[in-house]
Amino acid sequence: MQRDVGSLPLAPALRARLVAAGFQTAQELLETGPCGLSKEIGISKEEALEALQVVRQECHGDAARTAGGSGATRKCTALELLEEEQAQGFIITFCSALDNILGGGVQLTKITEICGAPGVGKTQLCMQLAVDVQIPECFGGVAGEAVFIDTEGSFMVERVVDIATACVQHCQLIAEAHQEEDHLKALETFSLESILSHIYYFRCRDYIELLAQVYLLPDFLSEHSKVRLVVVDGIAFPFRHDFEDLSLRTRLLNGLAQQLIIIANDHKLAVVLTNQMTTRIGQSQSTLVPALGESWGHAATVRLIFHWDNSQRLATLYKSPSQKESTIQYHITSHGFRDVQPPAVTQNIEGTEMNPRKRPRREEEK
Amino acid sequence: MAAKKLRRAKLSQELCERLSRHQITTCQDFLCLSLLELMKVTGQSYYNVQKLLRKVSRACAPKMQTAYEMKLRKSVNPSSAFLSTTLHSLDKVLHGGVPCGSLTEITSPPGCGKTQFCIMVSVLATLPVSMGGLDGAVIYIDTESAFSAERLIEIAGNRFPTYFDSDEKLFCMTRSIHLYRELTCGSVLKRIMSLEEEIISKKVKLIVIDSVASVVRKEFDTKLQGNLAERSNFLARGASVLKYLAEEFSIPV
Repeated sequence: MQRDVGSLPLAPALRARLVAAGFQTAQELLETGPCGLSKEIGISKEEALEALQVVRQECHGDAARTAGGSGATRKCTALELLEEEQAQGFIITFCSALDNILGGGVQLTKITEICGAPGVGKTQLCMQLAVDVQIPECFGGVAGEAVFIDTEGSFMVERVVDIATACVQHCQLIAEAHQEEDHLKALETFSLESILSHIYYFRCRDYIELLAQVYLLPDFLSEHSKVRLVVVDGIAFPFRHDFEDLSLRTRLLNGLAQQLIIIANDHKLAVVLTNQMTTRIGQSQSTLVPALGESWGHAATVRLIFHWDNSQRLATLYKSPSQKESTIQYHITSHGFRDVQPPAVTQNIEGTEMNPRKRPRREEEK
Repeated sequence: MAAKKLRRAKLSQELCERLSRHQITTCQDFLCLSLLELMKVTGQSYYNVQKLLRKVSRACAPKMQTAYEMKLRKSVNPSSAFLSTTLHSLDKVLHGGVPCGSLTEITSPPGCGKTQFCIMVSVLATLPVSMGGLDGAVIYIDTESAFSAERLIEIAGNRFPTYFDSDEKLFCMTRSIHLYRELTCGSVLKRIMSLEEEIISKKVKLIVIDSVASVVRKEFDTKLQGNLAERSNFLARGASVLKYLAEEFSIPV
């Protein structure tokens, strides 16, 4: 209530007038009322009423925050966070080695960035995740939908059909092995058509369309509340060419990252971005580093780098707040993303009795 | 899309005039500004500016389609999804042939047969659909002057002797292959930019560029400092226009 007038989100001209007229706190504004306000500053009664409504909304928001209200507040104890994290699911990648180094899979409410040279498998992993996010809870998935924002045009529906068919077959095998009621019921809705119709695809041709789409995402997500994954395939592509003003690019990228973090937290979903690699020319040698510069490195919480080693594909966990840095091998088969040696069928997806969705944390093998 | 004028994004007239005084006329300018700058420029409150932002975004944002709709669309017209190369093992590996609607790149050391492949694919594209072709014209952008019309006729005559049995059919085919000789990067880029109208007017069903690397390597020496950025700029711009053309018209490039 003691909020300074200069900090209220009103139109700048109006704010300047209020300050010039001598108003200092929001409390004074509310006490004056719309008619008095319009007479003192010389604005119409409707404008005064609008301004007062904005002020009232702000003050209510402040009061709720200070009283420790549930939804809008961003403050809670670490114990509550721990319980939340343990109850949260992961999006598995069907490659158990990769899931292990990620601590269970792609985490919700976090931004994961995948960097790699062209052709190494980034889009494949994104398509795999878009299918895996829809796995029903009794099989260990999060039963959500997926939003796929494509800037490079490398999304192939035929490939998604292959991956989804393999995933459905995998779940069918598990259901047959265990013969449980809820497994069979979940399988009825988990089919190829339902998987494909829950992947929402946007094709953005340049950075303006990408920005516009991210601005509109919150509205889209409130209509489709079951979305648990947002994939942006190729966040570097529209920003890498045709940008003379690098400071504008940094500002737009930072704004984009902030909005994605807000979306990830508010709607409890995972955001996966793919980035390209660029060559940094050092004194004597050149190294491949993720594109978009140093400041972009702070945007993602978890960073995976895919690279080649002769003919074997490797994935390195480069940055993560809770897991240590390690490298694993993976394979891309006609069924999608897989381990180098096929793992045992039943062990990966079933969970403990405590929480059917969360897989047990295993000790690192090496 | 980005250059869309704000007037067409359904903003009010006075707001558009006010913004144009600050040199903001297109959606691109509007979306590039931060929220505080927008408040200053439009003179509106925070919440109103957010509403405006959403309105402008809606004018620029792409349409949503589910993967299922995409699959249905492709399965309705299966023959148009690929251009078969008539080499069975290659077609099998490529899942049907050269995909329509995306870029395909062919690389190899010199002398392996890239230009021959391009010439053969051009012939295939002019064949009618019943024979596995696309029944359309071909735009061939040649930067090495390696295209030989005689070789084209030789391939057509020997490969499909039953179809090209008369000279008239051969002439018809050669008439539908439009060859452009471009020798510098700038002219290649200009040619790519101007392709959109030509594709519609000539009913083009295939674009071949032979080759991208030769003209780029001639002009940009990577040892010089600034050239690397300029070269990648040129390549990226060309690539994005080609991708747009491929997707928009569903043709292979």
